[in-house]
Amino acid sequence: MTTEFPWRLKGRCYKLGHDVPHPGGVVPARIITGRYFDAKDITPHLFEETDPGFHERSRPGDIIVTGRNFGMGPKMNGYIAMQALGLGLVCESMPFLAYRAAIGCGLRVMTDCVAATEMCDTGDELEVDFRNGLFVNHTRSIRREYPPIPDGLLEIVELGGNAGWLKQWWAQRGAAAPR
Amino acid sequence: MRLTAVEKVLAAKCGKSAVRPGEVVYPDPDFIMIHDGVVMGAKRELDALGINRLAAPDKVMMVTDHDVIYGSARAAERGAFNREAARAWGVKNFYDVGRGGHGHIFPMETGMLLPGMFYFDNDRHATNAGAIGAFGFRMGTEISRVLATGTNWVMVPRSVRLNINGRLKPGVHARDVGFHIATLIKQGVLPFDLDYRVLEYTGELDQFDLAARTALCSSPTEMRAYGVFLPPSEAILEHAQSKATRPFTPVYADADAQYDAQAEIDVAALEPQIALPGGVEHAVDISEIAGEPISHAFIGSCGSSMYQDMVEAARYLEGRRLAPNVRLFIAPGSEASTQRMAREGILATFLEAGAVILPAGCGPCNDAVVGPVHSGEASISTAANNNFGRFGPKDAKLYLGSPATVAASAVAGQITDPRTMVNA
Repeated sequence: MTTEFPWRLKGRCYKLGHDVPHPGGVVPARIITGRYFDAKDITPHLFEETDPGFHERSRPGDIIVTGRNFGMGPKMNGYIAMQALGLGLVCESMPFLAYRAAIGCGLRVMTDCVAATEMCDTGDELEVDFRNGLFVNHTRSIRREYPPIPDGLLEIVELGGNAGWLKQWWAQRGAAAPR
Repeated sequence: MRLTAVEKVLAAKCGKSAVRPGEVVYPDPDFIMIHDGVVMGAKRELDALGINRLAAPDKVMMVTDHDVIYGSARAAERGAFNREAARAWGVKNFYDVGRGGHGHIFPMETGMLLPGMFYFDNDRHATNAGAIGAFGFRMGTEISRVLATGTNWVMVPRSVRLNINGRLKPGVHARDVGFHIATLIKQGVLPFDLDYRVLEYTGELDQFDLAARTALCSSPTEMRAYGVFLPPSEAILEHAQSKATRPFTPVYADADAQYDAQAEIDVAALEPQIALPGGVEHAVDISEIAGEPISHAFIGSCGSSMYQDMVEAARYLEGRRLAPNVRLFIAPGSEASTQRMAREGILATFLEAGAVILPAGCGPCNDAVVGPVHSGEASISTAANNNFGRFGPKDAKLYLGSPATVAASAVAGQITDPRTMVNA
């Protein structure tokens, strides 16, 4: 594993509330039912129903901070878009399979971040290290330590998700392994 | 060691003395299951990466249960693709059309899935493994990594424990218990959040045979449990021993295991339940909804398709005819069950009542590929869930009940308490 991977993001906070569902709340349901898995097809629609044009205003390093139970429902497409835009995701909680999907898309994501939405507002300057769990709000001079991405999952995120991980595994080990 | 059942099984499959909730581990599975609906996606994904062989083809079990008789030309193409995939991958445990049956049913009947085992599956209803005292974990599309590498990451789930007190009255079924539990969770009466939890049952479980235990796994899964577990009884162990295709070691939770939450319910006074349209967690006593007309009925699914479920349903159809406006579909869980039903005259009972026998598998419960409802129609079934649109149109009224309740209702043409049927 290389050491240059940017585990620490510095950018603006984009705050959402509790119970934001994946269909509708993150991407329109038609993106999910239409089985769009290519980032270029999804990013223009990220948060489209609540905040049209989000993808044009967001900048790499920006961090989405959500309340409890983020991303209910059929999953994955929205995390592909967040990863492609270089965003991070910090949630008070999310259904486990939503978390698993986010990791599988190579997204820098932390969950079980208690009261995270009380620590920031949209537009605040945040700095979050997904490898050690450090959460800093420079605008409000707040520091918190949240559960980081577990060590066992860092490689998947670093390689851009499951497909990237499998590709490297095959190149390094799988193809060379004895039958 | 203070370990729950899932912690013990995962520790054993990781070569460790203990694992703890939240830990990321890579268990070595006893086998790997993939069903007919997702082989194509996994194969194409691996092909695109140049991955042309599996880590352990001998461990892979491919089943054909989601679209068994090909309701479309596209499905037939998929079947051909799956056959070629099995050949290319060298998968010998390939259960093609008319072989095996429902992947979450027949391995428990045949001794392939045994107490203490752990396996990976693409499908979330792998939780059925808990009926025999084992675990199957859903990987979704990440089954491709399991196929390629032999394992995948698992975050050890937390466990909750539910003690069952009392014995069910005649005519009340384990599915009724499941609907009731889901409803108590929804109402907040049971202090459980089942998201990514393992639900361990304890208490008066000897009253539940393998089919009933399978039924008890169903509704918690719909409430997002990642595993369900019943400690195997003497009867379950005898069944497993008589069918086992390899040695196995049953696993039981430690007496001082750590649970996220614990609760108990008494089922002695429970009435047959009906899950109202929209979810298993919307259950009411059958007396509240009895008399509601239905015209579509289905007995089967991963929750209710073992031989005993079929026998129970047949009791209410013996010597009777379905109501004139009702169509009833039966999908046994395994080819072996269908054959046994034929030998014992149970198939004749269904057919003479006017029911339609489907091949072993998921039946309409998979995306309504067979036996869908029409817009506005009312249906009663033993499907895994009755979420809007499960059988096609979203405005259909889908009720759930036990096999007995569905059979009685199909005869009456309206939701009917099976206990009111004479001679049953």
